Parts: sequence; structure tokens; C-alpha cells
Amino acid sequence: MEVEQLEREAGNMTSTIAASTAGASAANPSAPASPAADYLVLSNIAKTFIARGNATNALSATNLTIGQGQFVTLVGPSGCGKSTLLNLVAGLIEPSEGTITIGGAPVRGTDRRIGYVTQADNLLPWRTLRDNVAFPLELAGVPVAERRERADFWMHRVGLAGFGDAYPSELSGGMRQRGNIIRTLIYGPPVILMDEPFGPLDAQTRIVLQDLLLSIWEESRSTVLFVTHDLSEAISLADQVVLMGTKPGRVIRCENVGIERPRDIFQIHEHPEYRRLYKQIWNDLGAQVKKAVE
Amino acid sequence: MTSRPSLFDPDSARAVFIGRLLLAVSVLLLWQLGAGHLFDIFFFGKPTLIAASIFNDLRDPGFYRDLGVTGMEFGMGYVIGGFAGIACGVLLARWRYMAKLADPFLQALNAVPRIALAPMLIVWFGIGMSSKVFLAATLVFFIMFFNTLSGIRSVSPALCSVAKIQGATQWQIFTKIMLPSASSWIFTGLKMSLPFALVGVILGEFMVSSVGLGYRLNAYATAYNTSAALGMIMIMMCLMMLLTWGANALDARLMGWRDGGGDGAAAALKA
Repeated sequence: MEVEQLEREAGNMTSTIAASTAGASAANPSAPASPAADYLVLSNIAKTFIARGNATNALSATNLTIGQGQFVTLVGPSGCGKSTLLNLVAGLIEPSEGTITIGGAPVRGTDRRIGYVTQADNLLPWRTLRDNVAFPLELAGVPVAERRERADFWMHRVGLAGFGDAYPSELSGGMRQRGNIIRTLIYGPPVILMDEPFGPLDAQTRIVLQDLLLSIWEESRSTVLFVTHDLSEAISLADQVVLMGTKPGRVIRCENVGIERPRDIFQIHEHPEYRRLYKQIWNDLGAQVKKAVE
Repeated sequence: MTSRPSLFDPDSARAVFIGRLLLAVSVLLLWQLGAGHLFDIFFFGKPTLIAASIFNDLRDPGFYRDLGVTGMEFGMGYVIGGFAGIACGVLLARWRYMAKLADPFLQALNAVPRIALAPMLIVWFGIGMSSKVFLAATLVFFIMFFNTLSGIRSVSPALCSVAKIQGATQWQIFTKIMLPSASSWIFTGLKMSLPFALVGVILGEFMVSSVGLGYRLNAYATAYNTSAALGMIMIMMCLMMLLTWGANALDARLMGWRDGGGDGAAAALKA
């Protein structure tokens, strides 16, 4: 249940990879009785992008160990490699150095163990909301009746009942984003990546959806890696807050959030632990934000 | 133009309709009354004479045979050209190397003025229907080809990535993301190529034929029967408008997801 942030040399890091042997449990997320402490492991990850002959260090010497069923938020200024990190874990891009393992099995390309909720809703405009939500089930060959039932269940769960036949263009931003989230939840991936899913929403819609997300997560307890630039959101939701820095993108430090669950997201900023963490992380985050705009 | 400008609402459907009616009637009236004085009937015909010749044509069984032949050529040219264009567009959109290789050749082929093919078409296909079908098909083909290619190339990479993460195979990404995403381009192409298909057929019938609406028009014009020729042109115009109207109705039905509809604002309030 520990997030380790190790700013060590590359050579020291290989031992972490061999440690986990929970490969079998990764295939079936509901099976393991005791959650693995080193479920999602990033070992000495570096990513360099080359554009027009210039190499950009998006991420360097990044180590992160996330326990199964943890809700981890990544916070940092723009350009600190948060999205790059998610894309690496999702298997959309390959690291220049280092390895990523989930339950002991290395990530090689995209796979169904990982769900990804993008910042833009990316709903298919030619499909109704129901068909969008059921899309991953359709890909897996789930029969029509079952996928309809499961889609309706999830739409009802997030207050979208009755909008199943609407096209995305007919829905508000908040509704589309709920559709985007349940489209991932419906196939139950053990690891869920979220890239500022509430970024484009207004403050009220945002807090309602944060509350909804937490209550759903309390039931499923999947492993969540949630990117945000909003420190308040990062602390409210997380078991652990990972602060990332820029130039080059890297992990600066991790903080455990010792606030009991279930949480009242509407009142959480009154909590002394919340205030303490906010002040503590803000000092470092502020310095990074200044560095990012220089 | 109205005597009571305070009652005139330029946005009302009724005002627009009345305005259109007035415009049509005044043009026809000017034409009718001016014929023989302002314009020479030999060159410009006369609305009543044109109407009479349209009426004659519509009663002539030969007209329906011509209509049938032209319709057949049009349909075959449209379907063959459309199908081939979409198929090649899909193929080359998926096969980058081939697309790069073929690009200058396709540009060159498309640059051939179709009318210049006319003498060769008779050599290749004879004077039957096939030369007209071919001409229509070549026009439709390139429109459909370029539209399909652009449509598939403009598919959002993010949509493909999301599907990939959700476990889509390459084939599923192609059939469930790329083709539907390109469908609005393909549909636009299908609408655009309707008049081109008709142009191809009529052009083919002008050159050499003994049947078809184009042949009929040509026969009237070479006999200096202006009113009958203009009547024929109006019949073609009406057929084309009917086709376009049908295509638009189908488009609105199938592609309803493109425009947000009126529910957007109401839905936003409920969120």
C-alpha cells in the first residue's frame, strides 16, 4: 500500500521488477484476496520525444509503485509529463528506457486490463449514448441484450437514465463526460487511467462528478491513476498524491492522504489533514508552476 | 415591394413563398408577353409553347422509352462509378505506399477532359449504352474516390486510440470507427456526383446514340425546335431536382447525428 518515489540511479532499480509474482491475479481482478502492494510498477522510466531533430525529455528517471486498489492522483504543472506517463502505462507509446509492469506482467501495447478515460469525451458522434457506453462490450462480442442491460445499468447509476437514445451532440459537456467514464467502467478494467476527466467542466458539475466517481470507486476498488492540475481535486480524491515537476518531467515526491473513507467531498476542505497537505504540497507545486512558465 | 411595409416580415415563410411566386410569375409573364417583340421566339421560345411541347412529350410513349434508357444508363454509371470509387478510396486510404505511388497517375487521369474521350469511347464501347455508362462512371468515380480517401484520412486518431485501448482489433477499428467516421464524406460525395452522372450520360447521348433524353434533346435542337428543346431541358432540370431532394432527405435521415438538433440547450440545463 506504499507509493515509493525513489530518486536513485538507474542501476539500483532492477530489483523491484522481479519482486512481484502476481501475474495470474492480473488476468482476473476479482480473484486476489489480499491486494498486492506493488501492483502497478514503473521502474526507471524515461521518455524522449524527437521532433524535427530536437530531442525533448518528457520524462526522466521516474519510479512509481502503486498498490492494488489505490486511488493515486498525479498533480503538476503543464509539461511535467503527466499525460506522457498515462500514455506509457496505457501502452499507447513505449518508454525510451525502463519497464512498466501490472501485477508482475509487463505492459506491451494496449490491453484490456487498462481503461483510459480521456480529457476530451471522445464519444463516437454517430452512435447514441447507449451504443457508446456499450461499445467496449460490443468489441468483446457480448450479446446485444446483455450489453444493453449493462449500459442501462451504468447510465442509471450516473443519472443518465432516459438519455440512452440521444446522440453526443445533443448532450451537455457534463453528461458526455459521465458517458465517457462509464464507457470505461462497464468492462471493469482493474487499472483505470484518468486524464483530467473533469478539466473542461464548470466547478459545480466537477464536484458532483467527483463525488459520484468516489462512490462508484468505493464499490469497485480498482486501481486508479488520475491526472489533474487541480491540487484540491488531487487531495480530495486520492489515497496518495504524486507531485510531478517539470524540465525535465519527473516525480518530485508522494504524499499519503490520511483522510478516512468514505469522504464527504463537499466538506473535505474543512478537514485539518486536507489543509495541512494542501499547504505542504502547494509550496512545491507553486515552485514548479513558476519553473514551467519561465 | 409591398404597399404596407410595416406588415412585411422578411423572415416569415409566407413572405418568402409569396416573394418567390411573384418572381417566377413576373419572369414568365415578361417572357410570354415579350416573346415576338423583345425576344425572338426562334431563339428563346415562349412559355406557352414550351409547356405545350412538354405536354406532348409526356404523352408520347417514345419519351418514356428514352427516359428509361437514360435512367438505366444513369443508374448503372452512378452505381458502378460510386462503388469503384469508394472501394479504391478505402483501399488506398489503408495502403499508404500504394496511395503515394498511384497519386500522380490518378491526378493525371482525373485531369483528362471527359469530352475528349468521346471519339475513343465509340471505338471502345460502340454506340450502345455502355459508352454512356462508362462516361458517367468515370465522373462519379473520381468524386467518390477523393471523398472516401479524405474521409478516412480525416478520422480522429484519438477515437482510434480509445477503441484500441478498449480492445478493438485493427478490423474493428476500420469497420466501427473509420468507415462510420468517413460516412459523412462519402455521403457528401454521393450527393455531389448525382448531377455529374447525369451530365456524363447526356453528354454520351449527344455524341452518338439513337435513344435517350440526350438524343431527344439533340434531335429537337438540330431541328431548330427551340420550344421543344427548352422543354426537354426543363424536364431534365426537374428530374435532377427530384433526385437531389431525395438524396437530401435520405442524408438528413441517416446523418442526423451530425447536427446537434434542438435538444442540446434543454439537455444542458438538466445536467
